[in-house]
Amino acid sequence: MHVRREVIHIHLPRRSTSKCDMVGMVIERDSVGEEGDDVVTPGEFLGEATEFVAGKGAYVSPNGRSVRACLTGRRKVTAAPPGSHDNRSTIEIVGHKAHGAVPQPGSIVIARVTKVMARNASADIMCVDSKAVKEKFSGIIRQQDVRATEIDKVDMYQSFRPGDIVRALVLSLGDARAYYLSTAKNELGVVSAQSISGGTMVPISWTEMQCPLTGQIEQRKVAKVD
Amino acid sequence: MDVDTGNMTQTNLVDKVVVPGDVVLDLTKMENQTIKLGSGLHQDCDYISVMQAGKLRLSKPNKYWVESSQKRYVPRLEDTVLGIVVEHRSDNFLVDIKAPNLAFLPVLAFEGGTRRNIPKFETGTLIYARVVKANGIMNPELSCTDASGKAAEFGQLKNGYMFETSTGLARMLLSSPTCPVLEALGKKISFETAVGLNGRVWVNASSPDDVILVSNAIMRSEFLSGTQQRIMAEKLLERLQKS
Repeated sequence: MHVRREVIHIHLPRRSTSKCDMVGMVIERDSVGEEGDDVVTPGEFLGEATEFVAGKGAYVSPNGRSVRACLTGRRKVTAAPPGSHDNRSTIEIVGHKAHGAVPQPGSIVIARVTKVMARNASADIMCVDSKAVKEKFSGIIRQQDVRATEIDKVDMYQSFRPGDIVRALVLSLGDARAYYLSTAKNELGVVSAQSISGGTMVPISWTEMQCPLTGQIEQRKVAKVD
Repeated sequence: MDVDTGNMTQTNLVDKVVVPGDVVLDLTKMENQTIKLGSGLHQDCDYISVMQAGKLRLSKPNKYWVESSQKRYVPRLEDTVLGIVVEHRSDNFLVDIKAPNLAFLPVLAFEGGTRRNIPKFETGTLIYARVVKANGIMNPELSCTDASGKAAEFGQLKNGYMFETSTGLARMLLSSPTCPVLEALGKKISFETAVGLNGRVWVNASSPDDVILVSNAIMRSEFLSGTQQRIMAEKLLERLQKS
């Protein structure tokens, strides 16, 4: 059982002047156990590279000798799987609850359409895999990703309108501005939409939704919800 | 909502001035009829009410709409408009047509248009074009060909003078039979005009005097009746000793 004493220097810049204050903190910690209750911060030493493998949230330091954390969270040690020729345990950082979801390629997201243009539609991603996001992510649905058939004859105005809620699949991380989303499956597309008269529309086919107040039919790329 | 039950009969308000909020038709009193609603009217569950101030018109048997006149233009499919080129992008021109958004005019939307002979329109060029895509959300799209691909008078308008009017006056100038003021002027002066439904009129004649005379006559004719327009035009022509 070893107790490690670490001194952490925290750099607090003053707002008005160029001089900076340094505050030193001493943290005493007990580093035994499968999952510590203590919080580790990025850069913190977790173990020797000879004893541990760096898992999710940890990395091997540049000199190749120590495993350090790169996320904030709690440490978790998993024993090596039997039968592997490397019997080092894996150290992971188990995320804080405060971190929200982040869209990854292959995840299903719920997004609200913000802008519809001739060749693509922009949407704000609100939920990832049924977990709400904490910060705003932008997505783009391109004309060729709206549906699976006849992709060159897609009319964006007959597929989406601003304000529609859509279920989409994340294709890739996209460019610096937005994720690339796709609705090219039966269960993807507009889930909820309002008509021009203001009523929430009811889907009647995979291309049409009807307003309950006026009976008007509007075109959308509708998701098949079971 | 307080409903004036006097509006139940269908012909009550036709050809009269209506304002937003007026109830035009009560659908519960009419059974098994198809009614077509044009601009300015909106269905509010069981009532048809007015959204824009103007004159209510009926085209028998069942088309209703409100004719209004404004200084701003809301793009509509198949309208012919006069636009001013604002910018030249790689695949379309950005054209101002007095609408909430700039319109796109694809560089290939001309008769015989290919990548090799893209017209060179500078900022400020006046274009006569046709609206091919107009929904409230995206930028409208224009074309300088008619439906069959021919040029048909669309394209750049050279020389002449362009002035702005209300949309109501533009519609009156395009009505058939020929608008009285244009007919009266046409008897003595030879000129050509292009009228955009977005409230822009272009006039061209052989001399600047004629251009000014025709423009002034058109601008003054907005609220005059047919006879008054003729009298006004003849007075103007007299003043310049054209008769």
